[in-house]
Amino acid sequence: MSEVYALEVRKVTKTFPGVRALDEVNLRLKPGEVHALLGENGAGKSTLIKIITGIQPPDSGELLIGGEPRSLSSAHEATKAGIGVVHQERNVIADFTVAENITLGNTPTKAGRVDWKEMRAGAQRVLDLLDFPIDPDTPTSLLSPAQTQLVEIARGLYADSAVLLLDEPTASISENESDLLFTVVHKLAAQGKAILFVSHKLEEVFAHCDTVTVFRDGKVVAESAPLADYTRDSIVDLLVGRTLAKLDVPERNPSREGAPALELRSVSSSAGHRDVSFRVHPGEILGLYGLVGAGRSELAEALLGLTRITSGEVLVNGAPVTIRSVGDALRTHGIGYVTEDRKAAGLFLDQTVEKNLTVTVLKRLSNALGVVRARSSRETADEYISSLDIKVSGRDQLVGLLSGGNQQKVSLGKWLAADTGILIIDEPTVGIDVRTKGAFYQLIWALAEAGKAVMVISSDLAETVTLVDRIAVMQDFAITGIVDNTHDYESMSKSVIRLIHDEPISSVEVQR
Amino acid sequence: MKARLGAALRTQNTSLAAVIIVGTIVLAIQSQGGFLAPISIRTFFEFLAIPIIIGLAQMATLAVGQMNLAVGAIGGFASCAAAILVADAGLPGWLGGILAILIGLAAGLVNGLLVVLTQINGFVVTLATMTILAGAQYAMVGTRTIQASAWPELQAIGTAYPLGVPLIFWLALIIAIALAFAYRHTLVARQMLASGGNPLAARLSGISNNRSLVAAHGLSGLLCGVAAFIVLCSLPGSNKSIGGDWLLSSFAAPIIGGVSLVGGTVAVLGTVLAAMVVRLVDSARAAFQLDPSWVNLVIGAVVLGTVALDRVRTRRPSATRGRRRPPADAPPTAALRTVERGAGA
Repeated sequence: MSEVYALEVRKVTKTFPGVRALDEVNLRLKPGEVHALLGENGAGKSTLIKIITGIQPPDSGELLIGGEPRSLSSAHEATKAGIGVVHQERNVIADFTVAENITLGNTPTKAGRVDWKEMRAGAQRVLDLLDFPIDPDTPTSLLSPAQTQLVEIARGLYADSAVLLLDEPTASISENESDLLFTVVHKLAAQGKAILFVSHKLEEVFAHCDTVTVFRDGKVVAESAPLADYTRDSIVDLLVGRTLAKLDVPERNPSREGAPALELRSVSSSAGHRDVSFRVHPGEILGLYGLVGAGRSELAEALLGLTRITSGEVLVNGAPVTIRSVGDALRTHGIGYVTEDRKAAGLFLDQTVEKNLTVTVLKRLSNALGVVRARSSRETADEYISSLDIKVSGRDQLVGLLSGGNQQKVSLGKWLAADTGILIIDEPTVGIDVRTKGAFYQLIWALAEAGKAVMVISSDLAETVTLVDRIAVMQDFAITGIVDNTHDYESMSKSVIRLIHDEPISSVEVQR
Repeated sequence: MKARLGAALRTQNTSLAAVIIVGTIVLAIQSQGGFLAPISIRTFFEFLAIPIIIGLAQMATLAVGQMNLAVGAIGGFASCAAAILVADAGLPGWLGGILAILIGLAAGLVNGLLVVLTQINGFVVTLATMTILAGAQYAMVGTRTIQASAWPELQAIGTAYPLGVPLIFWLALIIAIALAFAYRHTLVARQMLASGGNPLAARLSGISNNRSLVAAHGLSGLLCGVAAFIVLCSLPGSNKSIGGDWLLSSFAAPIIGGVSLVGGTVAVLGTVLAAMVVRLVDSARAAFQLDPSWVNLVIGAVVLGTVALDRVRTRRPSATRGRRRPPADAPPTAALRTVERGAGA
């Protein structure tokens, strides 16, 4: 083949401790095409994006830009090499003007000073190209999310990027705004730019893309193929058609009689939740599945009193409650929350395993004078180190020095120490290797067996299907359906994905 | 790993101790033994009590990831206010001493409440209260020096030398030991360290960061009050310049002593030893008859050097730690955003 690709990925492999994130993946992106990159959470899309944008180097394999092999060691180099990126999260400086943001990183200068005239002219040039009628001197903070996104695209154009990578650009904008975005995308493709489009919305993909690459479990299952060869169903098959690693899954039959440990009745929150209702019974594991940004962690925060519940009712053990703070949730209502981001929000990395494990129960461990009983504290720490099989040199080891799996055990352990009746576990196995994952599942099943009501928030569908009793699907801060988990991955993944894509479902029972 | 942390602390404390020993020997030789004469030892420890206490006062705020720029202003204001109440309003001296401590505590609590209620950065809040209190101190005393003869009972404390060492130094030492115990074993201190180490994790563990902030600023103010009490005991009078030169040394002691500027750690022994090193520099200045400005230059350089060294030392682990930063691809949750906005509240 003599064709020159705008971007070519050849046999790229990337391994993280315990996980092969990318396994010899290929991708070829032609100038003038809109190329969809699809894959479930954890399939390796994000890793590939990081490699293409120079944030992480690949372990092996090649990256060719415009036919030239390149090794990118920073995001800056990727920009210089002609790769423009529009991230899912807005990436502009709100205090700067539109022109300043468009020229960011390539600010025109004259004799060492900022050339304001050229900056405005250059910005206006790309804005005209996009048919985006906005004054370059407008402060960026006044723009809507979609307009801000166009500013980012304009930045890619200003830098003269041959490749434009759009990472879930429509995740946080309205339909009208998406239309505007796609108009621009098609115009750019017509000008010969290569567009790599990452999305979870299949409708968009089918409406606007020419070719498709599908990732599953770090491997490519469809590579740079014409989208016309596929149907929506065949794409869904490609996305989810994986068989699970063998795991000792127990026969679970939780009773749903009596008062639920936790019940939400039409709960709306200041974070934007609408009419969320579900029940979790003692001994039951409810999965809360959805895409990143669907509002699942935010729901946990509302239950912890971190965001305000504006209407509806929360019932704990059948009694309506008002939760004012995390301390209130923990000590009065017995709700524990294992955060998804153990490093940022779960652990005190510079402190010892003992201090981390006892942080939720300091009050219980201290005497009337407020002095923490040293022996009780040590015993509590040792108890969970041994029951969770945390690999440490001792209770005085600093948590920051433990492996991810052991850190996660500490993060979970402090909530087991708190002994709450309701446990919300957010992304229990993120960044954890397969073997430890299994240990975590066993642990969570054991917790449920012991009568705890467990809610598992996960973006990993395979994990959800393996682990939980029922799956509640959340999309845009609302529950779109709750299905009984048959533990059959094929059928469950299809019904869950349909619920996310907001299609009416007929074949599965919906309880609301 | 305790061994590793312990080793790091030990090296820090060991090198401080080594500096103290070498410095003492050099000064002893230079002064032909005069530096070790009982009267010199008294003077040395007399002027060590306040640096220790204000170093600990600063450490208390650093532990929650805050700063207290008002250390000197609180101490100066408290000592002058108490002095005026005793000298002009006729309060008994011992009551003046207690009041100095309580005024310090009150000022610290106000700092903490302002930080919590306004959500303004502690740096700015204490910068403002520093200016206000220093202004109030000047307005109160003007150019006058209130003579210590008005409170003989406090002066008696300042001139007591059990075992040949000033009582006020023993006082500072006892306070340091009590703090070391408290930071190890008390509920409120462990909550403060949790809030300082990772405010988000502390919050999600049911700890009130607001309470930790108020407690830390309150403790810091209380210690400033104790420093004011020591001023009343040991100095010949109170005037507008009391506390004016405390700021740098209050930071120098904990920073050289190994307290992390981002919060979550304390180092009581390190702070005490570092205060001693700073005091030695001052003694050396006197012994070698150098210009006083040299002391500030040396201390400033040592502080900068220590912090730079600390950065180098911690760079490697921090690369894998990524503290307080969500992964780049995870949108921050509402709670995280709140914490990041609100200076750790």
